[in-house]
Amino acid sequence: MAQLVKDLMHPGIITCQADMTLGRVAEVLIEQHLHALVVADRDGRLLGVLSDFDLMAAEWLSSDAKSLEAMRTMTAGELMTTPVDSVEAGMPACDAAQKMRSGGTSRLIVIERGKPVGIISTSDIVASMMRARPLGRMNVADVMSRAILVCREETPLCSVARAMTDAQFRSVLVVDAMGRPLGVVSGFDMLAYCGEDGCAEATAGQAMHEMLTIRPDASLREAADMMIQHHHHRLVVVDPEENEAMPVGMISTFDIVFEMAHPSSVWQQ
Amino acid sequence: MPETSIGMAPQGQAERAKFEQELQRIVAAGDAARLTLRVLGALAFRTHCPQFGYLQEKMGRSYTDIDFAAYARDSKGIRALMAGLGYAEDKEVFVVSEGSRAIFENPQSHIHVDVFYEKLDFCHVIPWNGRLEMDSPTIPLAEMVLEKTQIVQINEKDVIDMIMLFLEHGLGEDDREIINIKRIAKLCAEDWGLWRTVSMNLEKIDKLAQNYDTLNSEHKARVSSQVGEALRLMEAEPKSMAWRLRARVGDRVKWYKDVDEVK
Repeated sequence: MAQLVKDLMHPGIITCQADMTLGRVAEVLIEQHLHALVVADRDGRLLGVLSDFDLMAAEWLSSDAKSLEAMRTMTAGELMTTPVDSVEAGMPACDAAQKMRSGGTSRLIVIERGKPVGIISTSDIVASMMRARPLGRMNVADVMSRAILVCREETPLCSVARAMTDAQFRSVLVVDAMGRPLGVVSGFDMLAYCGEDGCAEATAGQAMHEMLTIRPDASLREAADMMIQHHHHRLVVVDPEENEAMPVGMISTFDIVFEMAHPSSVWQQ
Repeated sequence: MPETSIGMAPQGQAERAKFEQELQRIVAAGDAARLTLRVLGALAFRTHCPQFGYLQEKMGRSYTDIDFAAYARDSKGIRALMAGLGYAEDKEVFVVSEGSRAIFENPQSHIHVDVFYEKLDFCHVIPWNGRLEMDSPTIPLAEMVLEKTQIVQINEKDVIDMIMLFLEHGLGEDDREIINIKRIAKLCAEDWGLWRTVSMNLEKIDKLAQNYDTLNSEHKARVSSQVGEALRLMEAEPKSMAWRLRARVGDRVKWYKDVDEVK
Protein backbone atom coordinates (compact mmCIF):
# COMPACT_ATOMS: atom_id res chain seq x y z
CA MET A 1 0.00 0.00 0.00
CA ALA A 2 1.28 3.45 -0.86
CA GLN A 3 2.74 5.35 2.05
CA LEU A 4 0.98 8.49 3.10
CA VAL A 5 2.47 11.81 4.10
CA LYS A 6 1.34 11.28 7.71
CA ASP A 7 3.30 7.98 7.85
CA LEU A 8 6.59 9.72 7.03
CA MET A 9 6.22 13.21 8.49
CA HIS A 10 7.80 14.53 11.66
CA PRO A 11 4.84 15.33 13.91
CA GLY A 12 4.68 18.74 15.52
CA ILE A 13 6.00 22.07 14.33
CA ILE A 14 8.75 24.11 15.93
CA THR A 15 8.20 27.78 15.30
CA CYS A 16 10.02 31.04 15.85
CA GLN A 17 8.85 34.64 15.94
CA ALA A 18 9.26 36.82 12.89
CA ASP A 19 11.53 39.23 14.77
CA MET A 20 14.13 36.60 15.71
CA THR A 21 17.59 37.52 14.39
CA LEU A 22 19.40 35.23 11.95
CA GLY A 23 22.10 34.52 14.54
CA ARG A 24 19.49 33.31 17.02
CA VAL A 25 17.76 31.23 14.32
CA ALA A 26 21.11 29.49 13.68
CA GLU A 27 21.39 28.71 17.39
CA VAL A 28 17.89 27.22 17.53
CA LEU A 29 18.49 25.07 14.45
CA ILE A 30 21.61 23.59 16.03
CA GLU A 31 20.04 23.19 19.47
CA GLN A 32 16.97 21.43 18.07
CA HIS A 33 18.84 19.45 15.35
CA LEU A 34 16.61 21.01 12.69
CA HIS A 35 17.14 22.13 9.11
CA ALA A 36 14.34 24.70 9.12
CA LEU A 37 12.07 26.69 11.41
CA VAL A 38 8.53 27.74 10.72
CA VAL A 39 8.02 31.46 11.28
CA ALA A 40 4.75 32.24 13.05
CA ASP A 41 3.02 35.34 14.38
CA ARG A 42 2.03 35.79 18.03
CA ASP A 43 -1.31 34.07 17.39
CA GLY A 44 0.46 31.02 15.98
CA ARG A 45 -0.45 31.71 12.37
CA LEU A 46 2.23 30.37 10.01
CA LEU A 47 3.94 33.13 8.05
CA GLY A 48 6.82 31.37 6.28
CA VAL A 49 9.71 28.95 6.53
CA LEU A 50 13.37 29.74 7.16
CA SER A 51 15.82 26.96 6.30
CA ASP A 52 19.52 26.45 6.91
CA PHE A 53 20.00 27.10 3.19
CA ASP A 54 18.31 30.51 3.54
CA LEU A 55 20.68 31.30 6.42
CA MET A 56 23.60 30.89 3.99
CA ALA A 57 22.58 34.34 2.68
CA ALA A 58 23.94 35.82 5.90
CA GLU A 59 27.48 34.59 5.18
CA TRP A 60 27.14 35.00 1.41
CA LEU A 61 26.27 38.68 1.55
CA SER A 62 28.43 39.80 4.48
CA SER A 63 31.32 40.83 2.26
CA ASP A 64 32.17 43.97 4.22
CA ALA A 65 31.47 45.51 7.62
CA LYS A 66 28.44 47.46 6.39
CA SER A 67 26.83 44.42 4.79
CA LEU A 68 27.59 42.32 7.85
CA GLU A 69 25.84 44.87 10.05
CA ALA A 70 22.80 44.89 7.73
CA MET A 71 22.61 41.10 7.79
CA ARG A 72 23.10 40.97 11.57
CA THR A 73 19.96 43.05 12.05
CA MET A 74 17.90 41.10 9.53
CA THR A 75 15.17 38.93 11.01
CA ALA A 76 13.56 35.58 10.31
CA GLY A 77 10.44 37.35 9.04
CA GLU A 78 12.47 39.31 6.51
CA LEU A 79 14.43 36.37 5.10
CA MET A 80 11.81 33.61 5.28
CA THR A 81 10.26 31.96 2.24
CA THR A 82 6.61 32.78 1.75
CA PRO A 83 4.00 31.55 1.25
CA VAL A 84 4.30 28.31 3.21
CA ASP A 85 4.02 25.25 0.95
CA SER A 86 1.81 22.59 2.45
CA VAL A 87 0.35 19.13 1.82
CA GLU A 88 -2.55 17.20 3.25
CA ALA A 89 -1.60 14.51 5.77
CA GLY A 90 -3.62 11.93 3.86
CA MET A 91 -1.88 12.59 0.54
CA PRO A 92 0.31 9.79 -0.89
CA ALA A 93 3.98 10.46 -0.09
CA CYS A 94 4.94 10.20 -3.78
CA ASP A 95 2.57 13.11 -4.52
CA ALA A 96 4.32 15.14 -1.83
CA ALA A 97 7.67 14.22 -3.45
CA GLN A 98 6.34 15.45 -6.79
CA LYS A 99 5.17 18.68 -5.18
CA MET A 100 8.65 19.23 -3.69
CA ARG A 101 10.29 18.59 -7.08
CA SER A 102 8.01 20.90 -9.03
CA GLY A 103 8.21 23.64 -6.41
CA GLY A 104 11.95 23.27 -5.88
CA THR A 105 11.38 23.04 -2.14
CA SER A 106 12.87 20.64 0.44
CA ARG A 107 10.07 20.58 2.97
CA LEU A 108 6.31 20.94 3.22
CA ILE A 109 4.06 21.73 6.16
CA VAL A 110 1.58 18.90 6.74
CA ILE A 111 -2.03 19.98 7.23
CA GLU A 112 -4.83 17.90 8.74
CA ARG A 113 -8.36 19.24 9.11
CA GLY A 114 -7.08 22.70 8.28
CA LYS A 115 -4.41 22.73 11.00
CA PRO A 116 -0.64 22.25 10.71
CA VAL A 117 0.34 18.95 12.31
CA GLY A 118 3.90 18.32 11.13
CA ILE A 119 6.61 18.70 8.52
CA ILE A 120 7.71 16.33 5.79
CA SER A 121 11.13 16.85 4.24
CA THR A 122 13.19 15.27 1.47
CA SER A 123 15.11 13.35 4.19
CA ASP A 124 11.88 11.70 5.36
CA ILE A 125 11.06 10.61 1.82
CA VAL A 126 14.63 9.42 1.18
CA ALA A 127 14.49 7.38 4.42
CA SER A 128 11.30 5.70 3.20
CA MET A 129 12.97 4.79 -0.12
CA MET A 130 15.66 2.81 1.68
CA ARG A 131 12.98 0.38 2.84
CA ALA A 132 11.91 -0.44 -0.73
CA ARG A 133 13.94 -3.58 -1.32
CA PRO A 134 13.12 -6.97 -2.82
CA LEU A 135 12.39 -10.04 -0.71
CA GLY A 136 15.00 -12.77 -0.37
CA ARG A 137 18.51 -13.56 0.79
CA MET A 138 20.77 -10.60 0.14
CA ASN A 139 24.40 -10.27 -0.80
CA VAL A 140 26.92 -7.60 0.13
CA ALA A 141 25.98 -5.27 -2.76
CA ASP A 142 22.32 -5.28 -1.67
CA VAL A 143 23.05 -4.27 1.90
CA MET A 144 26.23 -2.18 1.80
CA SER A 145 26.26 1.59 2.09
CA ARG A 146 27.11 2.94 -1.34
CA ALA A 147 27.58 6.47 -0.07
CA ILE A 148 30.73 6.56 2.04
CA LEU A 149 32.55 9.19 3.98
CA VAL A 150 36.15 9.62 2.80
CA CYS A 151 39.15 11.72 3.76
CA ARG A 152 42.84 11.97 2.90
CA GLU A 153 45.70 10.67 5.09
CA GLU A 154 46.70 14.16 6.16
CA THR A 155 43.19 15.14 7.29
CA PRO A 156 43.31 16.30 10.95
CA LEU A 157 41.53 13.89 13.25
CA CYS A 158 39.37 16.68 14.66
CA SER A 159 38.00 17.23 11.10
CA VAL A 160 37.32 13.51 10.81
CA ALA A 161 35.46 13.66 14.13
CA ARG A 162 33.35 16.56 12.92
CA ALA A 163 32.49 14.86 9.62
CA MET A 164 31.51 11.64 11.40
CA THR A 165 29.34 13.52 13.86
CA ASP A 166 27.66 15.74 11.25
CA ALA A 167 27.02 12.91 8.81
CA GLN A 168 26.20 10.39 11.55
CA PHE A 169 28.74 7.94 10.11
CA ARG A 170 30.65 5.58 12.37
CA SER A 171 33.75 5.30 10.19
CA VAL A 172 35.69 7.13 7.50
CA LEU A 173 37.55 5.59 4.59
CA VAL A 174 41.05 7.03 4.12
CA VAL A 175 42.10 7.40 0.47
CA ASP A 176 45.13 8.73 -1.39
CA ALA A 177 45.13 11.53 -3.95
CA MET A 178 43.86 9.14 -6.63
CA GLY A 179 41.00 7.83 -4.49
CA ARG A 180 42.76 4.52 -3.76
CA PRO A 181 41.74 3.12 -0.33
CA LEU A 182 44.44 3.08 2.34
CA GLY A 183 42.61 2.22 5.55
CA VAL A 184 39.63 2.96 7.77
CA VAL A 185 39.25 5.23 10.77
CA SER A 186 36.50 4.10 13.15
CA GLY A 187 35.19 5.64 16.34
CA PHE A 188 37.14 2.99 18.23
CA ASP A 189 40.39 4.07 16.54
CA MET A 190 39.75 7.60 17.69
CA LEU A 191 39.46 6.72 21.36
CA ALA A 192 43.29 6.65 21.56
CA TYR A 193 43.33 10.35 20.69
CA CYS A 194 40.69 11.38 23.20
CA GLY A 195 43.04 13.84 24.98
CA GLU A 196 42.64 17.35 23.58
CA ASP A 197 46.26 17.69 22.49
CA GLY A 198 46.37 14.30 20.80
CA CYS A 199 43.32 15.05 18.69
CA ALA A 200 44.58 18.45 17.61
CA GLU A 201 47.85 17.06 16.30
CA ALA A 202 46.85 13.65 14.92
CA THR A 203 45.85 12.84 11.36
CA ALA A 204 43.61 10.23 9.79
CA GLY A 205 46.69 8.45 8.44
CA GLN A 206 47.98 7.92 11.98
CA ALA A 207 44.68 6.74 13.41
CA MET A 208 43.49 4.45 10.61
CA HIS A 209 43.51 0.69 10.86
CA GLU A 210 44.21 -1.81 8.13
CA MET A 211 41.12 -2.50 6.06
CA LEU A 212 39.62 -5.77 4.96
CA THR A 213 38.06 -5.91 1.52
CA ILE A 214 35.21 -7.97 0.12
CA ARG A 215 33.55 -8.38 -3.30
CA PRO A 216 30.09 -6.88 -3.89
CA ASP A 217 28.70 -10.28 -4.95
CA ALA A 218 29.86 -12.02 -1.76
CA SER A 219 27.08 -13.37 0.45
CA LEU A 220 26.19 -11.85 3.80
CA ARG A 221 27.36 -15.10 5.38
CA GLU A 222 30.83 -14.57 3.87
CA ALA A 223 30.85 -10.99 5.15
CA ALA A 224 29.82 -12.09 8.64
CA ASP A 225 32.47 -14.80 8.58
CA MET A 226 35.22 -12.34 7.63
CA MET A 227 34.13 -9.85 10.30
CA ILE A 228 34.05 -12.53 13.03
CA GLN A 229 37.29 -14.24 12.02
CA HIS A 230 39.23 -10.96 11.93
CA HIS A 231 37.20 -9.10 14.54
CA HIS A 232 36.47 -6.21 12.17
CA HIS A 233 33.22 -4.26 12.37
CA ARG A 234 33.25 -3.14 8.77
CA LEU A 235 34.57 -4.24 5.38
CA VAL A 236 35.49 -2.15 2.37
CA VAL A 237 33.64 -3.34 -0.73
CA VAL A 238 35.82 -3.25 -3.85
CA ASP A 239 35.27 -4.13 -7.46
CA PRO A 240 37.39 -7.28 -8.02
CA GLU A 241 38.24 -6.04 -11.53
CA GLU A 242 39.62 -2.76 -10.12
CA ASN A 243 41.16 -3.48 -6.74
CA GLU A 244 42.98 -0.15 -6.60
CA ALA A 245 40.04 1.97 -7.64
CA MET A 246 37.76 3.94 -5.34
CA PRO A 247 35.71 1.34 -3.40
CA VAL A 248 32.09 0.82 -4.38
CA GLY A 249 30.86 0.88 -0.78
CA MET A 250 31.27 -0.27 2.81
CA ILE A 251 29.39 -2.88 4.79
CA SER A 252 29.24 -2.87 8.56
CA THR A 253 27.83 -5.11 11.28
CA PHE A 254 25.03 -2.55 11.57
CA ASP A 255 24.12 -2.98 7.86
CA ILE A 256 23.83 -6.73 8.29
CA VAL A 257 21.81 -6.50 11.52
CA PHE A 258 19.60 -3.84 9.94
CA GLU A 259 18.92 -6.25 7.08
CA MET A 260 18.13 -9.09 9.53
CA ALA A 261 15.58 -6.84 11.26
CA HIS A 262 13.85 -5.87 8.01
CA PRO A 263 10.30 -7.27 7.72
CA SER A 264 11.14 -8.84 4.34
CA SER A 265 14.25 -10.59 5.68
CA VAL A 266 14.33 -14.36 6.04
CA TRP A 267 15.04 -13.79 9.73
CA GLN A 268 11.60 -12.27 10.23
CA GLN A 269 9.58 -14.86 8.28
CA MET B 1 21.54 65.71 -14.10
CA PRO B 2 24.41 68.17 -14.77
CA GLU B 3 24.62 69.32 -18.37
CA THR B 4 28.37 69.62 -18.16
CA SER B 5 28.92 65.93 -17.36
CA ILE B 6 31.44 64.00 -19.47
CA GLY B 7 30.04 63.29 -22.92
CA MET B 8 27.56 66.17 -22.72
CA ALA B 9 28.86 69.25 -24.52
CA PRO B 10 28.25 70.89 -27.89
CA GLN B 11 30.49 69.22 -30.48
CA GLY B 12 31.11 70.50 -34.00
CA GLN B 13 30.55 68.39 -37.09
CA ALA B 14 34.29 68.29 -37.85
CA GLU B 15 35.12 66.96 -34.41
CA ARG B 16 32.41 64.29 -34.66
CA ALA B 17 33.65 63.31 -38.12
CA LYS B 18 37.18 62.98 -36.76
CA PHE B 19 36.01 60.29 -34.30
CA GLU B 20 33.76 58.55 -36.84
CA GLN B 21 36.54 58.37 -39.46
CA GLU B 22 39.07 57.13 -36.95
CA LEU B 23 36.62 54.45 -35.84
CA GLN B 24 36.23 53.28 -39.44
CA ARG B 25 40.02 53.20 -39.87
CA ILE B 26 40.51 51.04 -36.75
CA VAL B 27 37.60 48.70 -37.58
CA ALA B 28 38.88 48.20 -41.16
CA ALA B 29 42.38 47.45 -39.91
CA GLY B 30 41.00 45.07 -37.27
CA ASP B 31 38.94 43.21 -39.88
CA ALA B 32 41.97 42.94 -42.16
CA ALA B 33 43.97 41.50 -39.26
CA ARG B 34 41.09 39.04 -38.52
CA LEU B 35 40.69 40.38 -35.00
CA THR B 36 37.34 40.27 -33.18
CA LEU B 37 37.12 43.93 -32.25
CA ARG B 38 33.65 45.35 -31.59
CA VAL B 39 32.67 48.94 -30.87
CA LEU B 40 30.76 49.98 -27.78
CA GLY B 41 29.96 53.36 -26.26
CA ALA B 42 28.59 56.45 -28.03
CA LEU B 43 29.99 55.55 -31.44
CA ALA B 44 28.37 52.09 -31.30
CA PHE B 45 24.99 53.71 -30.65
CA ARG B 46 25.53 56.15 -33.51
CA THR B 47 26.60 53.31 -35.83
CA HIS B 48 23.61 51.14 -34.95
CA CYS B 49 21.02 53.92 -35.16
CA PRO B 50 21.07 55.34 -38.72
CA GLN B 51 17.52 56.72 -38.33
CA PHE B 52 17.64 58.19 -34.83
CA GLY B 53 21.38 58.72 -34.40
CA TYR B 54 20.89 62.40 -35.15
CA LEU B 55 19.48 62.76 -31.63
CA GLN B 56 22.98 62.53 -30.17
CA GLU B 57 24.06 65.75 -31.86
CA LYS B 58 20.69 67.42 -31.36
CA MET B 59 20.64 66.62 -27.64
CA GLY B 60 24.25 67.64 -27.04
CA ARG B 61 25.71 64.17 -26.66
CA SER B 62 29.38 64.31 -27.68
CA TYR B 63 32.09 61.76 -28.47
CA THR B 64 34.98 61.65 -26.00
CA ASP B 65 36.80 58.43 -26.91
CA ILE B 66 36.48 55.17 -28.83
CA ASP B 67 35.66 52.01 -26.88
CA PHE B 68 36.07 48.43 -28.04
CA ALA B 69 35.20 44.97 -26.73
CA ALA B 70 37.54 42.08 -27.53
CA TYR B 71 38.66 38.65 -26.41
CA ALA B 72 41.85 38.26 -24.34
CA ARG B 73 43.23 35.84 -26.93
CA ASP B 74 43.48 38.81 -29.35
CA SER B 75 45.28 41.15 -26.95
CA LYS B 76 48.69 40.73 -28.61
CA GLY B 77 47.21 41.24 -32.07
CA ILE B 78 45.32 44.34 -30.90
CA ARG B 79 48.48 45.78 -29.34
CA ALA B 80 50.33 45.33 -32.64
CA LEU B 81 47.39 46.71 -34.62
CA MET B 82 47.12 49.86 -32.52
CA ALA B 83 50.89 50.43 -32.65
CA GLY B 84 50.71 50.15 -36.44
CA LEU B 85 47.95 52.77 -36.46
CA GLY B 86 50.14 55.20 -34.54
CA TYR B 87 48.83 54.62 -31.01
CA ALA B 88 50.88 54.39 -27.82
CA GLU B 89 49.71 52.06 -25.06
CA ASP B 90 49.51 52.91 -21.38
CA LYS B 91 50.95 49.54 -20.42
CA GLU B 92 50.34 50.02 -16.73
CA VAL B 93 46.57 49.82 -17.26
CA PHE B 94 46.87 46.37 -18.85
CA VAL B 95 49.03 45.13 -15.97
CA VAL B 96 46.98 46.68 -13.16
CA SER B 97 43.71 45.43 -14.68
CA GLU B 98 45.23 41.95 -14.99
CA GLY B 99 44.74 41.96 -18.73
CA SER B 100 41.10 42.95 -18.70
CA ARG B 101 41.60 46.44 -20.10
CA ALA B 102 43.97 48.32 -22.42
CA ILE B 103 44.20 52.05 -23.12
CA PHE B 104 45.79 53.53 -26.24
CA GLU B 105 46.40 57.19 -27.10
CA ASN B 106 47.12 58.69 -30.47
CA PRO B 107 49.69 61.48 -29.92
CA GLN B 108 48.66 63.26 -33.15
CA SER B 109 44.86 63.22 -32.93
CA HIS B 110 44.77 62.87 -29.13
CA ILE B 111 42.07 60.25 -29.60
CA HIS B 112 41.86 57.87 -26.69
CA VAL B 113 40.94 54.19 -27.29
CA ASP B 114 39.76 51.85 -24.54
CA VAL B 115 39.66 48.08 -25.08
CA PHE B 116 37.70 45.88 -22.67
CA TYR B 117 38.82 42.26 -22.79
CA GLU B 118 36.41 39.40 -22.07
CA LYS B 119 33.92 41.55 -20.13
CA LEU B 120 32.74 44.95 -19.10
CA ASP B 121 33.36 45.16 -15.37
CA PHE B 122 31.93 48.29 -13.83
CA CYS B 123 28.92 48.25 -11.48
CA HIS B 124 28.21 44.70 -12.71
CA VAL B 125 30.01 42.22 -14.94
CA ILE B 126 28.78 41.86 -18.51
CA PRO B 127 30.65 38.92 -20.10
CA TRP B 128 31.43 38.80 -23.80
CA ASN B 129 31.79 35.01 -23.95
CA GLY B 130 30.84 34.03 -27.46
CA ARG B 131 28.66 37.11 -27.94
CA LEU B 132 31.01 39.31 -29.97
CA GLU B 133 30.48 37.14 -33.05
CA MET B 134 26.73 37.97 -32.99
CA ASP B 135 27.13 41.44 -34.48
CA SER B 136 29.60 43.67 -36.27
CA PRO B 137 31.14 46.24 -36.11
CA THR B 138 29.46 46.85 -32.73
CA ILE B 139 28.75 44.61 -29.77
CA PRO B 140 25.25 43.07 -30.01
CA LEU B 141 22.31 45.34 -29.22
CA ALA B 142 21.52 43.40 -26.01
CA GLU B 143 25.03 44.08 -24.71
CA MET B 144 24.67 47.74 -25.71
CA VAL B 145 21.57 47.93 -23.49
CA LEU B 146 23.41 46.19 -20.65
CA GLU B 147 26.49 48.38 -21.11
CA LYS B 148 24.38 51.42 -20.27
CA THR B 149 21.84 50.02 -17.83
CA GLN B 150 24.40 48.33 -15.57
CA ILE B 151 25.60 51.78 -14.43
CA VAL B 152 23.96 52.60 -11.09
CA GLN B 153 24.59 56.33 -11.46
CA ILE B 154 23.33 56.48 -15.05
CA ASN B 155 23.83 59.93 -16.57
CA GLU B 156 22.27 61.97 -19.33
CA LYS B 157 24.54 60.78 -22.14
CA ASP B 158 23.63 57.19 -21.36
CA VAL B 159 19.93 58.01 -21.27
CA ILE B 160 20.16 59.69 -24.69
CA ASP B 161 21.95 56.68 -26.17
CA MET B 162 19.30 54.35 -24.78
CA ILE B 163 16.42 56.46 -26.06
CA MET B 164 17.93 56.32 -29.56
CA LEU B 165 18.32 52.56 -29.35
CA PHE B 166 14.75 51.96 -28.18
CA LEU B 167 13.39 54.20 -30.96
CA GLU B 168 15.43 52.43 -33.62
CA HIS B 169 15.18 48.74 -32.62
CA GLY B 170 12.44 46.39 -31.45
CA LEU B 171 12.72 43.64 -28.84
CA GLY B 172 13.05 39.97 -29.75
CA GLU B 173 14.92 36.75 -29.18
CA ASP B 174 17.80 37.08 -31.64
CA ASP B 175 20.47 39.62 -32.46
CA ARG B 176 19.73 40.66 -36.05
CA GLU B 177 18.88 44.36 -35.75
CA ILE B 178 16.80 43.38 -32.72
CA ILE B 179 17.49 43.86 -29.02
CA ASN B 180 17.83 40.30 -27.73
CA ILE B 181 15.72 40.77 -24.62
CA LYS B 182 15.90 37.04 -23.90
CA ARG B 183 19.67 37.40 -23.36
CA ILE B 184 19.14 40.39 -21.06
CA ALA B 185 16.37 38.66 -19.13
CA LYS B 186 18.47 35.51 -18.73
CA LEU B 187 21.49 37.37 -17.32
CA CYS B 188 19.21 39.36 -15.00
CA ALA B 189 17.48 36.16 -13.85
CA GLU B 190 20.83 34.77 -12.71
CA ASP B 191 21.92 37.86 -10.79
CA TRP B 192 19.48 39.84 -8.65
CA GLY B 193 21.92 42.76 -8.41
CA LEU B 194 22.09 43.13 -12.19
CA TRP B 195 18.31 42.82 -12.40
CA ARG B 196 17.91 45.51 -9.74
CA THR B 197 20.16 48.00 -11.52
CA VAL B 198 18.92 47.29 -15.05
CA SER B 199 15.24 47.46 -14.09
CA MET B 200 15.81 50.62 -12.05
CA ASN B 201 17.55 52.29 -15.01
CA LEU B 202 14.96 51.21 -17.55
CA GLU B 203 12.30 52.91 -15.44
CA LYS B 204 14.52 55.97 -15.15
CA ILE B 205 15.07 56.12 -18.92
CA ASP B 206 11.32 55.99 -19.54
CA LYS B 207 10.68 58.70 -16.97
CA LEU B 208 13.39 61.03 -18.29
CA ALA B 209 12.41 60.47 -21.93
CA GLN B 210 9.00 61.99 -21.19
CA ASN B 211 10.70 65.32 -20.29
CA TYR B 212 12.73 65.86 -23.49
CA ASP B 213 11.28 68.52 -25.76
CA THR B 214 13.40 67.11 -28.61
CA LEU B 215 11.19 64.00 -28.62
CA ASN B 216 7.64 64.07 -29.98
CA SER B 217 4.74 62.26 -28.33
CA GLU B 218 5.10 59.29 -30.66
CA HIS B 219 8.75 58.89 -29.67
CA LYS B 220 7.90 59.12 -25.98
CA ALA B 221 5.16 56.51 -26.32
CA ARG B 222 7.52 54.20 -28.19
CA VAL B 223 10.17 54.44 -25.44
CA SER B 224 7.51 53.76 -22.79
CA SER B 225 6.16 50.76 -24.62
CA GLN B 226 9.63 49.27 -25.23
CA VAL B 227 10.67 49.76 -21.58
CA GLY B 228 7.38 48.29 -20.33
CA GLU B 229 7.78 45.21 -22.54
CA ALA B 230 11.43 44.75 -21.54
CA LEU B 231 10.51 44.90 -17.84
CA ARG B 232 7.63 42.47 -18.37
CA LEU B 233 9.88 39.92 -20.10
CA MET B 234 12.58 40.31 -17.43
CA GLU B 235 9.93 39.67 -14.79
CA ALA B 236 8.63 36.60 -16.60
CA GLU B 237 12.03 34.90 -16.88
CA PRO B 238 12.34 32.08 -14.30
CA LYS B 239 14.73 33.07 -11.52
CA SER B 240 17.45 30.99 -9.88
CA MET B 241 17.35 30.00 -6.20
CA ALA B 242 20.23 32.42 -5.52
CA TRP B 243 18.25 35.22 -7.19
CA ARG B 244 15.18 34.59 -5.05
CA LEU B 245 17.21 34.41 -1.87
CA ARG B 246 19.07 37.61 -2.74
CA ALA B 247 15.79 39.33 -3.58
CA ARG B 248 14.54 38.71 -0.04
CA VAL B 249 17.49 40.68 1.34
CA GLY B 250 16.87 43.45 -1.20
CA ASP B 251 18.46 46.88 -0.93
CA ARG B 252 19.57 46.36 2.69
CA VAL B 253 22.89 45.13 1.30
CA LYS B 254 24.67 46.95 -1.53
CA TRP B 255 24.13 45.09 -4.78
CA TYR B 256 26.70 46.73 -7.08
CA LYS B 257 30.34 47.78 -7.22
CA ASP B 258 31.23 51.44 -7.10
CA VAL B 259 32.71 52.41 -10.44
CA ASP B 260 35.63 54.11 -8.72
CA GLU B 261 36.59 50.78 -7.16
CA VAL B 262 37.22 49.23 -10.56
CA LYS B 263 38.78 52.13 -12.40
